[in-house]
Amino acid sequence: MQVEDIIRVNELSKKFGAFYAVNRISFNIHRGEILGFLGPNGAGKTTTIKMINGLLRITSGNVFVKGLNVKKQIKQIKAFTGYMSQKFSLYPLLTSLENIEFFGGISGLSRKEIKKFQQQIEDTIPIEILKQKIMDIPPGIKQQVALFTCLMPDPDIIFLDEPTSGVDPKNRRDFWMQIYKLKKAGKTILVTTHNLDEAEYADRIIIIHNGKIIRQGEPSSLLKNENMDSMEDLFKKAVTDDETN
Amino acid sequence: MLKLESLCKSYGSIKAVDNISLSVAPESLTILAGADGAGKSTLLKMILGLVKKDRGEIYLDQEPIGSDFSKITSITGYMPEQFSLYTDLSVEENMNFFSDIQQVPRRRREDLKQRLLEKTGMLPFKKRRAGALSGGMKQKLALSTILLSSPDIIILDEPTTGVDPLSRIEFFNIIEDLKHEGKTIIVSTPYLDEAEKGDDIVFIKNGKIIKQGSIQSLKENFPARLFRILPEGNIFEAIESIRADDEITDNVYMRGRYIKYMQGGTAGFIDRIPAKEVKKVSPTLEDIYLYYERNIHAG
Repeated sequence: MQVEDIIRVNELSKKFGAFYAVNRISFNIHRGEILGFLGPNGAGKTTTIKMINGLLRITSGNVFVKGLNVKKQIKQIKAFTGYMSQKFSLYPLLTSLENIEFFGGISGLSRKEIKKFQQQIEDTIPIEILKQKIMDIPPGIKQQVALFTCLMPDPDIIFLDEPTSGVDPKNRRDFWMQIYKLKKAGKTILVTTHNLDEAEYADRIIIIHNGKIIRQGEPSSLLKNENMDSMEDLFKKAVTDDETN
Repeated sequence: MLKLESLCKSYGSIKAVDNISLSVAPESLTILAGADGAGKSTLLKMILGLVKKDRGEIYLDQEPIGSDFSKITSITGYMPEQFSLYTDLSVEENMNFFSDIQQVPRRRREDLKQRLLEKTGMLPFKKRRAGALSGGMKQKLALSTILLSSPDIIILDEPTTGVDPLSRIEFFNIIEDLKHEGKTIIVSTPYLDEAEKGDDIVFIKNGKIIKQGSIQSLKENFPARLFRILPEGNIFEAIESIRADDEITDNVYMRGRYIKYMQGGTAGFIDRIPAKEVKKVSPTLEDIYLYYERNIHAG
């Protein structure tokens, strides 16, 4: 199968003061894949995602999304990308339906289109819950609503930053089934997680540490190459190898 | 050492803590496991009187404490989820500041500070500004500050949430050391892998206890046989196709590249799952959680 690089990251860096949060990293994201982005806290994961999404200024290097330059054409890029941030930024005092209306409005959807999205979510979540304030609903549902808002209007590329943090084991699995459905619908997905068992659900993973890429590849081949049984072990080895070097 | 009896707390129509009873043995590590919003923080705050209980009683060394929290707070070190450190002060200055607050005698201070920072591995970073520490290191400094009062009981509310796997392991090693020194510890966490280090565990969801007990006995008395199956092909596709089979759909779930199959009773359907490899395995806490949570839904 022909691999098409839908995102190209080239020598990307971000400097805060004298500190390089991201240090000349290069990688590509293939169209239609789930790419798992792993690394310790402060490794540069969120910083990288924010730069790709035009939310943080790039210190040096380049990012091209579908051939468009993030530094110059971010408005066009935003039209086909969705971003679910850490701690999903829904408005706690609004209900789920109101949040959808709000985020739909921001995405420039018409009233009619927003209505359609609201009806869609009513198919999966009971209406009584959708009419409750976000602050009062369980985290598993909050997470579903957050994912839903990031899928408006209909992005090709989806960024999920720690979507399963603080979510119970059952909901974590249900959430991954949804991610897989999005992949089957042709979406490209970049996801970060601290739950290493989930890394195996990705087509490829990248491990970053101190702003640099220390491993990348298919989970199964990485495990095989390093003769490791679990992602936990691989992660531990990759980080300690890097620290002792 | 500590016993909670029928604790309840509601906010409007929401039952944040719904009739929770549990016992904490001295010098043990008790894990409070549950997702965000399960009621863990509310429960921990109720133990210290930071949230007023609607109903129930707390016993300290067999004595009901009623509404007098002075004794329990004086012997407990509590690290809230959103702990506070002074980011403009160095590690050492933070320790000095909290020593003042906790009225650590001057003559003991230097020695204690040194010892605690050494224990938590923070000694090499003594001069570093707290604001410049990584997430995991901040956590370790916050833990060091609450140890200054030499508490008998330590309550840590989600100390490792959002912390990477390696720092989490390190943090729990410190907690284990503290237990071996004789501390009684209660830790809440959403991560079941690290919970394996505990003596006792309480699984809570929507304010209620799903299951509780000693981790060892929960494992030994796990009521199902558990298999780990490496499926043919893609894990998601395998799960989808199995889910179409009514008789086994509730008994399977994915874990990394494997399918886990819980076989209750005698009739097994394992041969219905196309597999490259099948292995009988012992349950992890995650398996135990999924088993009892599922049973609650079924019942």
